[in-house]
Amino acid sequence: MKVKILRQVHPGSEPYWEEFDYNGPAESSVASVIDSINFTDDIVTSDGKKTTRIGWECACLQGMCGACAMVINGVPALACETFVRDLKGDVVTIQPLKKFPVVHDLITDRSSIQENLKKSNIYIEEYDPEGEDHEHQYLAAKCLKCGLCLEVCPNYTTGKTFYGAAFANDCYLVASRNRSKSGQILDEYSKHFGLACSKSLSCMDVCPVGIPTLASIGKMNRKKSK
Amino acid sequence: MNSVLIIGSGIAGMSCAINCAQKGIHVILASPFPSERSQSVMAAGGINAVLPGNGEGDTVESHIEDTLKGGAHLAGTKAVTGLCEEAGDIIRYLESIGTVFSVDDKGRPAYRAFGGQSHKRTYYCGASTGKQIVTALNMEVRRFEAKGIIERRLGLCFHSALIKDGMCYGAMMYSEAANRLENIYADALVMATGGQNALFGKTTGSTQCDGYAAGKLFEQGVILKNLEFIQYHPTTMETSQKRMLISEAVRGEGGRLFYNEVEERVYFMEEKYGPNGNLQTRDVVSREIWATGKDVYLDVSFVGKKLIDERLPEVRDLCRKYRDIDITREPIPVAPSVHFFMGGIAVKNEHETNIKNMFAVGECASIYHGANRLGGNSLLAAMYGGRVAARALAGRESCGEHPLFERELEEAQAKLNEMADTKSTFAYAHIREMLAQTMQENLGIVREEQALTKGLEKIDNYITAAGKIHYDNSVLQYFNYSLPGILTLARAVLTSALSRRESRGAHYRSDYTKSDDSYKYATLISYDNGKYRTWLDTEGEYES
Repeated sequence: MKVKILRQVHPGSEPYWEEFDYNGPAESSVASVIDSINFTDDIVTSDGKKTTRIGWECACLQGMCGACAMVINGVPALACETFVRDLKGDVVTIQPLKKFPVVHDLITDRSSIQENLKKSNIYIEEYDPEGEDHEHQYLAAKCLKCGLCLEVCPNYTTGKTFYGAAFANDCYLVASRNRSKSGQILDEYSKHFGLACSKSLSCMDVCPVGIPTLASIGKMNRKKSK
Repeated sequence: MNSVLIIGSGIAGMSCAINCAQKGIHVILASPFPSERSQSVMAAGGINAVLPGNGEGDTVESHIEDTLKGGAHLAGTKAVTGLCEEAGDIIRYLESIGTVFSVDDKGRPAYRAFGGQSHKRTYYCGASTGKQIVTALNMEVRRFEAKGIIERRLGLCFHSALIKDGMCYGAMMYSEAANRLENIYADALVMATGGQNALFGKTTGSTQCDGYAAGKLFEQGVILKNLEFIQYHPTTMETSQKRMLISEAVRGEGGRLFYNEVEERVYFMEEKYGPNGNLQTRDVVSREIWATGKDVYLDVSFVGKKLIDERLPEVRDLCRKYRDIDITREPIPVAPSVHFFMGGIAVKNEHETNIKNMFAVGECASIYHGANRLGGNSLLAAMYGGRVAARALAGRESCGEHPLFERELEEAQAKLNEMADTKSTFAYAHIREMLAQTMQENLGIVREEQALTKGLEKIDNYITAAGKIHYDNSVLQYFNYSLPGILTLARAVLTSALSRRESRGAHYRSDYTKSDDSYKYATLISYDNGKYRTWLDTEGEYES
């Protein structure tokens, strides 16, 4: 199998493609494929050219931390949860997330996700719950802030004005766990999500922890109409 | 104190940051990644506490007793008493900031039974307690960030502490983006860098917890403690990159351990310990699996698909996803794996190290767990340790003027530059792999003098070689400069294991199979210019 990786040395430098051979087991995850390419004695491309080791991020390696988010065969996914056996064709393409600035190779700077939440004061502060939808709140709180939902979203571009599904779910979590903050959160939600979301719901297809964003949207919109 | 630098932003680091911020102390919270990437998010089980109204006559005293007993009476009674007495308040606090606990029919946080404990007292959030706590704490940190009291610095890796005349003034940090070192000064330094997984290669934990910080601090004169006490989880499943934890719930639901002999299954735990053999403690099961010397499997298929779907959905999905195993039809191949480090940086009851104004919290610190840890006590210790350290900091005077460490910075930067100036393609990972193999083979679940001594010789060779090799510089510099510290820590672990000539808690010696009262104290270890010295803390200097 050929593995084509879009690489980039520095934040400002030109990206370029490199192709590698992979002959390992089909049960391997893409994370494991990158590791096996990286740690042969000499890292060489398919045409035998010496190259540098591929930069990427990982921590838990089992879909719980969101570090290894990237674009695999055109689909935003976690590398540790995407398996060779499930990929079609003889060539796999791997790219960094495009909606975030590239730091190096497959490593991107996703700090805008945190910054937007900070700017909008999205924190619970004091627990005063609505007393319903416990399961929904549990799922919303599992958000990895991996950025896959933003990568796939047709409305999200750079995160300057529209903050995307990760933001909407945190808004729901805060509003549902602190009633007194609902009004303030609704304003931020409308400004940075509600008015611009076109409801393609592609975010739900790629979310690694299965957050029901549509339900979050529905409940926030219902609060708005109250 | 006016300012603190906290390194590591998992639960312990965030707990300390929030508690400092509440007391008006300015916090720099530095880490390579955001909190969502910390190992804390992987803690599934729960957090122990006795609140008024806990059923079956449970008491705080009982929690204290269970913790001390679980730790084979090596933990400090005062320290453990503080931990358990404050546990109820920690649950109430976590609820008050919006942690999504699983709830009972009255909407109160729910608790359940956990191994090694006399009563049900483990509060939990579905199967992701650590993650839910991280989410809640993260929001609190954000609140203080908005007020300017906490300043998060991401993309920073620890390099070394700024120490002069036994006093700490901050840390030297490596910035990934700028590819250079910087000094961050503060009135105090709090280490919250997690366990030492990299010493063992594949473990159940995060690749980010590599033990470098403890190893480097050790070289800088910080005393370490109880390094030989390493908890193994008996049932983990191998994948190409790690060992996946197969929850104890599988055995709780009736799962049976066996190995194959000719055409027959041997249920070795039941043969030796009777019908409840599979429910023995983590230590016992780990050692028994090791003793078989065979491929061991865990079978739960016979309880039926319905029960598995209802009660073990996470295990079912994990096995399907990573090994394409259908646990409703097939057994799971399992083996023990390194899971938790009871040892680490030696701290006194206030969480201060032997270096003034340097503290350690969470798994990188050695306190509360003694020779073995109870399930549900690690999240509690992470929360509580952060609080205790913050209280100690609040009660101290600011150190005011600090010495400058500019020359040290220049020297360290020059050394990094020199390290990067190479065309070598030799990967640091090769040495890490050899180290992991040595630790697994020569330390392991069952230890003995000859293998430990051989392990020491091997590590000495790696230490000598590591200093002479040039490494491929196309990886993050951190991986290359962290190697010597990791190797030094590994040597300290082996030395500690060799010095404890008895079996206690998670430390089992086949050449000294019994507990010996003369070893009923913590092991301390210090480093001085290549010399490792161990002694027992007979006076309870580091944990009372």
